[in-house]
Amino acid sequence: MSLSPLPRTLTAEDAAHFLRRTAFGASDAQIRALVGQDARTVAKAALAFDQTLAQGNPFDPLQGASPGASIQLTRGAWLYELVYGPHPLREKLALTWSNHFVVGTDKVRNAPALAGYLALLRRHAASDSFERFTLEIAQSPAMLRYLDNDQNRKGRPNENFSRELLELFTTGIGPYTEADVREGARALTGWTYVGGRGNRQYLDEPKFVFQAGQFDGGRKTYLGQSGNLRGEDIVRLATAHPATATFVARKLHRAFVADTPDEQAVAGSAETWRRTKGNVGAVLEELLSSEAFYTSRARIIRSPIEFIVGALRTLGQPQFDAKTLLNLTQTAGRMGQLLLEPDTVKGWDGGREWINDSTLLLRLQVAAGLTLTSKAPNLSEPPSLLAMTGQERPAAAVLLSSLKGRQRTYLGMISPEFQLA
Amino acid sequence: MTNRRDFLKLSALAVAATSGMPGFLARAAAQAGGHKTLVVIQLTGGNDGLNTLIPYTNGAYYAARPNIAIPRKDVLTVTGDLGMHPSLRPLMSLWDGGKLAWMENVGYPNPNRSHFASMAIWHTADPTQAQAEGWIGRLAEQIGDPFCASNVGGSTPQALRASDFSLPSIESTDNFQLKLPDGMQTPFQSMLNSPRTGEAAYLTRATRQMLKNTARVQENAKKYRAGATYPQTRFAGQLREAARLIAAGVGQRVLYVSLGGFDTHAGQRAEQDALLSTLAEGLAAFQTDLEKQGVARDVVVMGFSEFGRRVAENGSAGTDHGKGSVMFALGQGVKGGVHGSSPDLEKLSDGDIMYKQDFRGVYAEALTKWLNLNAREILGGSFTGPSWLA
Repeated sequence: MSLSPLPRTLTAEDAAHFLRRTAFGASDAQIRALVGQDARTVAKAALAFDQTLAQGNPFDPLQGASPGASIQLTRGAWLYELVYGPHPLREKLALTWSNHFVVGTDKVRNAPALAGYLALLRRHAASDSFERFTLEIAQSPAMLRYLDNDQNRKGRPNENFSRELLELFTTGIGPYTEADVREGARALTGWTYVGGRGNRQYLDEPKFVFQAGQFDGGRKTYLGQSGNLRGEDIVRLATAHPATATFVARKLHRAFVADTPDEQAVAGSAETWRRTKGNVGAVLEELLSSEAFYTSRARIIRSPIEFIVGALRTLGQPQFDAKTLLNLTQTAGRMGQLLLEPDTVKGWDGGREWINDSTLLLRLQVAAGLTLTSKAPNLSEPPSLLAMTGQERPAAAVLLSSLKGRQRTYLGMISPEFQLA
Repeated sequence: MTNRRDFLKLSALAVAATSGMPGFLARAAAQAGGHKTLVVIQLTGGNDGLNTLIPYTNGAYYAARPNIAIPRKDVLTVTGDLGMHPSLRPLMSLWDGGKLAWMENVGYPNPNRSHFASMAIWHTADPTQAQAEGWIGRLAEQIGDPFCASNVGGSTPQALRASDFSLPSIESTDNFQLKLPDGMQTPFQSMLNSPRTGEAAYLTRATRQMLKNTARVQENAKKYRAGATYPQTRFAGQLREAARLIAAGVGQRVLYVSLGGFDTHAGQRAEQDALLSTLAEGLAAFQTDLEKQGVARDVVVMGFSEFGRRVAENGSAGTDHGKGSVMFALGQGVKGGVHGSSPDLEKLSDGDIMYKQDFRGVYAEALTKWLNLNAREILGGSFTGPSWLA
């Protein structure tokens, strides 16, 4: 059963909820602009993003004087796009996909490879073909390097990418065997890249190549299909597997609906996924205008990046200097989410895992930095309670209203309500 | 002691009252005594056991690994057949002093080659993967103190998850304190007191617990001066924080530290060599520090990884995911030596060594002999393993 649509036009709290989930939060005026609109129209409009980037981004990864510096600039440029860019939903999706098709800057030390990877995540953010998306990811130099398929050669297989393609990117654990992992690795032999290797070539652009001489052309059996399978076949079979619809749909529900998704709602999205042959955009449009989406309030613990970007967008996108923005990317790292560097190839588990004593303390410190210190932006008007908490009359309303501007904003930002989307 | 007991009672009541948490906290606050500490070291990514404790007389080892085997001349000999990786040299004096133990051939039934499934098995001590709670979370429930075990580092591993909360994670003791601006104390407390449900209630609870934990650490931690020069690695920095918490007598029975990056599918030698150096240099400094602080008698370290690597190297001078591996332990309370027999490299299962010792037996030894707890209750069964404690 596909998901039922929201039967009413948006209330103020519906609009605040939609923007918390799809735009990291918003100012009061941005919330009010959606009130009274139809949910499908709102979802369609938010998904109709193009590839335009933010104006005046001060960070250019190609200006980095070393691989490490270029990576810092890549993170800074992304944070700038997240905070000031014209398409927050595209960026939210790119962030979500970066936590699905994980690469890490511990291994990928090449700025153009990272830029190519990020461009791919943005271009396919609401992809009409998950198969195409996965194929392009599999052939991206960043992924080839990160999961070692660049070293996967005939007679000398490297199983790393083949395993994670099934376990983490498509079907999830269960529907495949160790033999599928081995056979997949054979079929993916010869996929590698040229250029951009080593510390000195960190600004050169690497390019995917198929090295026919390294390809294992023998017969293979993969997920029950036999033949002279090639890498493209492996990606097609893995993405078309029925389990993939459920596995990836569940991740979308994790990102947009709840830390602990409702399995019936996931099944609804999986059905739409299978019917549309992995049209992610169609699945998202249905999801973001569904009753299931709108009734699931305050069930996602904001990640460190979502917390920081949410704070800045709720404050009305005040300008910060480049150094402060770079510091914020590092702070997000200390809170457990360094952009492009999840702890493992599985990505961040999120939910309650974001929360422990140290990370909570850092959230309090960041909130203080953004509201109380001398560096804090001057606001003509502090954000409304609706913008801060998603509720027009939160339980702490009386208390918050009794405080002055900066203190009220600080307390709102460290409240449990602000930590949730 | 009065102070500590009062704290436990208070925190137990506060937590139980706000969370509807099982009554275990109130139940056992009084028995939280004991002064021995277990430091668990997690090597994340699947450390290659065969290149850690090397069977340097075994021709099958060299045949399977033409590019990445450790040459016999580089091995740090520990027995007639086994030697340590050269990067582990900083641990040789511990070996010579009988304070370093290696557990050979450790694994579990029906091994899983997924990093994440396998790590979850080590964290929950449950090869059926049915449990969500970690073994240290269950240990905390048995002791009855939400602060008896802490992670040192950024995010809390599943091993420290209890039924409805996670045990503390401390990144740095100095920053482990809340400084609210003047005049904000009362509004902050009132804000926390608003009634909440669901995840908001969870966050309220976590914030309250954090306030208590930070107060407890700050009361004690100022006493510490490092007694060793630690290397400039994140791992060593976390061990220094662990030493500080131990020396300050903050009261944790278990501390947990992770070192990642062991997923060596390509160019293994360079990667693993560097990681084992980081490991050994950090642990050697930690041990020296504990001796200087006069607390070394009360601390043992136990290290593991979620699996070892395939016996044969792959085509990229690396290794793919394998099964059993080695564990290690060190400290004055440890019975030094190699416990268990080396894997048979000619009789493999899917190219992997066949494990002979269940890791839960290794855990059980620490739980019963070191921490004086009921291992059967925590591990959900009786497991015997090597007697690696003196």
